[in-house]
Amino acid sequence: MEYTLGSILPILLGPFLAFVVNIFIVKKWTKLGVFLSCFGMFVSLFYSFRIFKDFVFGKYSTGYYVHKVFPWFDLKAAGVSNFAVDMGIYLDNMSAVMLFMVAGCAFLIHIFSTYYMAGDARYGRFFVYLSLFTTGMLGLVLSDNLLSVFIFWELMGFCSYSLIGFYYEKEGAGNASMKAFMTTRIGDVFFLVGILAIWTTVGSVRFVDIYAAIADGSFNGLYAVGLPLATFAALSVFMGTIGKSAQFPLQVWLPDAMWGPTPCSALIHAATMVAAGVYLSLRMYPLMELGGITTFIAYIGAITAFGAATIALVQTDIKAVLAYSTISQLGYMVLGIGVGAYNAAFMHLITHAVFKACLFLAAGSVIHSLHDHHTHGHVQEMPRMGGLRKKMPLTFIAMLCCTFAIAGFPLFSGFVSKDRILGDALVMATQSKAYWIPAFLGFTAALLTAFYMFRMMFLTFFGEPRDKDLYDHTHVEKLSWNRNLPLLILTVFTLGGWYSGHFFGGWVKIPGVEHKEWFATLIEKPRVENFKAYKSLPFGSVDTGADRVFEESQFNPDKYFTEKEAHHVHLVHAIGAWASIAIALAGWFIAFMMYSRGAWNPGRWVNAFSGWYRALQNKYYFDDLYVKGILQKGLLPFNNLLSRFDMGVFDRYAVDGWEAVNRFFYRIAKWVDDVIVDSVGVDGTGASVRFFNVILRTFQNGKIQFYFIIFLVVMVGYIWKLV
Amino acid sequence: MITLSSYLAISFLLFVCGIAVMIARKNIIAILLGVELILNSCAINFVAYTRFVNNNLDGHIMSLFIIIIAAAEAAVGLAIVIRFFQIRESIHIDDATQLLQ
Repeated sequence: MEYTLGSILPILLGPFLAFVVNIFIVKKWTKLGVFLSCFGMFVSLFYSFRIFKDFVFGKYSTGYYVHKVFPWFDLKAAGVSNFAVDMGIYLDNMSAVMLFMVAGCAFLIHIFSTYYMAGDARYGRFFVYLSLFTTGMLGLVLSDNLLSVFIFWELMGFCSYSLIGFYYEKEGAGNASMKAFMTTRIGDVFFLVGILAIWTTVGSVRFVDIYAAIADGSFNGLYAVGLPLATFAALSVFMGTIGKSAQFPLQVWLPDAMWGPTPCSALIHAATMVAAGVYLSLRMYPLMELGGITTFIAYIGAITAFGAATIALVQTDIKAVLAYSTISQLGYMVLGIGVGAYNAAFMHLITHAVFKACLFLAAGSVIHSLHDHHTHGHVQEMPRMGGLRKKMPLTFIAMLCCTFAIAGFPLFSGFVSKDRILGDALVMATQSKAYWIPAFLGFTAALLTAFYMFRMMFLTFFGEPRDKDLYDHTHVEKLSWNRNLPLLILTVFTLGGWYSGHFFGGWVKIPGVEHKEWFATLIEKPRVENFKAYKSLPFGSVDTGADRVFEESQFNPDKYFTEKEAHHVHLVHAIGAWASIAIALAGWFIAFMMYSRGAWNPGRWVNAFSGWYRALQNKYYFDDLYVKGILQKGLLPFNNLLSRFDMGVFDRYAVDGWEAVNRFFYRIAKWVDDVIVDSVGVDGTGASVRFFNVILRTFQNGKIQFYFIIFLVVMVGYIWKLV
Repeated sequence: MITLSSYLAISFLLFVCGIAVMIARKNIIAILLGVELILNSCAINFVAYTRFVNNNLDGHIMSLFIIIIAAAEAAVGLAIVIRFFQIRESIHIDDATQLLQ
């Protein structure tokens, strides 16, 4: 396949042009606009599938990339010789897989939205935002440098703001959108600082240049604020991830993001917003490694995974459970980055995107059906559900598959990816004591995940309906293509075989079975040495792939380890895998006993740990800490101080003082205007005309004898002069 | 004895009389009379100079010309005055203001 601009750019232009056109037409021709949005996504999906197919089904090649660059601006004309910024497209295996995932999920979410949002007052506007949001994510994946990543990053920040606050007439939605925007902004500021730190060192923010600089040792021996520069830059960039991917301690915004319509939650939680943070960390992995913050990352990830999972235990809102499970799963990805499970972390990003999109769409399908005819609102509270599997069997099946996937049951995708992260964490733990805590938290969170997801399933779909009135008014699920088809497709892709190449995960080796794992073969840590002699292509050039680098699979642990070490790794992974299965089953069993059989009473646990229960219901008091502590104790007094300074000093002296200065100049100008311009200039012109008029009028009085006298006088004077 | 200056004195007297008439009188016919006086003073000058300085007939001929021109001028002037009177019913010089306007 030839990589011309025409084969790459439509990925971005499809949704973007749909967005631009929709701005103008969607209010009047809503149906056409919605169709355009979906069609734009389809174009994007088509082209990203072509690239995906070429990268993945081509040869299982690694180390191949397409990089096209055009100069964005150059300050040479302004006299700054070393400030030129290039923009470009960078495609490698990771972006190819990512593009297909984003475009695919976003397309299905678009389709589902035509079902979910139909009849909404702002049906069309929703699609405008949806298109722009997807554009942001696709652009971020296509970016070749941190600066354009940042631009698209902020674009997504804005879109999430608009979508979370989509029902802006509700106060909670408006507050949630502001909270999401402001919280991620904290991470973004650090991210920008990190970009600048990299810029000052490398002189470029392109990924390939950063890799090359790492290989050359440009970061060595440089310090910033007491830290090695690499550590400083890596920490700053990772702060961006913390904000965007809702890691501890900036996780507070994501649960509130469920104020938005459910399809937009699916987009934020799965394909776009939160995936961007993890994707950035994966891209910047060599920097994190160089900065030596991987242990820190592992701890952040493990704490997030565990903490969010515990909060999810006590949630009663179906979307809140899913929101906390998202944070928890993102914690797993970050943990994977921290323990060096690069491709497992990326794989979990992809598998999670698929099953979480499916979970949210299924939840949307449930919520949309449950209509409270007293309040005329949709019902999200699980205690009012129950027994819904008879009413909506297809949604039930989709949700069940996704629950199996997220809980890490064998055969499903979550098992394949999460197990590898946990296995690698375990391997790291056997090598370094510092990793025992993340590994332990990871496994515990897996148990909790299985428990709360099955709790949600049992409460929602099994047992007797607890709100009979609501249940009776729920319609039996009618098949409709835009409701069930996206769910079905996503459900199919929750199977683990799509990702591992077979159904038992890569590390559980079955004798006599040839392992062919496209995922593990394709995705590898960027090997920075390869980027030393690197050349990018001009933007419009045609990349035929003639110089494509074929290399043997680099994700072959046997290649790096001695036989003994490899055996150890395999053993630990095998233990991890069986432990994961046991843990998932245990989680299911506890949930089953509590919520389906009713044998164990959850209320007893609540009473026994009432302090913890309250802490969990209040989300570990993080919101209180931020609002009452940091905002009210810290920022609000600071704000008041600033406002007092503004009013007392700036307004009083600078603004009012300026008024006095102005008044002074006004007087001078008024005098000049009155005296010189008006009196002398304007009136003076009139007066001089009148004066000469009087003189000349006297001479031309029409009396011929007067003329004659003048004539005589002149003649006499003339003769006098002659004589 | 009668010398050139005597003639010139009379001629000057006539000229001043004509100027005075032209300036002082408002009657157009009187002004025309003033013009005739000036012409006559010129004619006296010519004759006096040709008699006392050149002693030939050039000045006499010029005087005759002046008399003829004066007659023609008087005829034209009077014709203008008559037309003027027919239009304005006045021969007052201050009524002749059409060119002013």
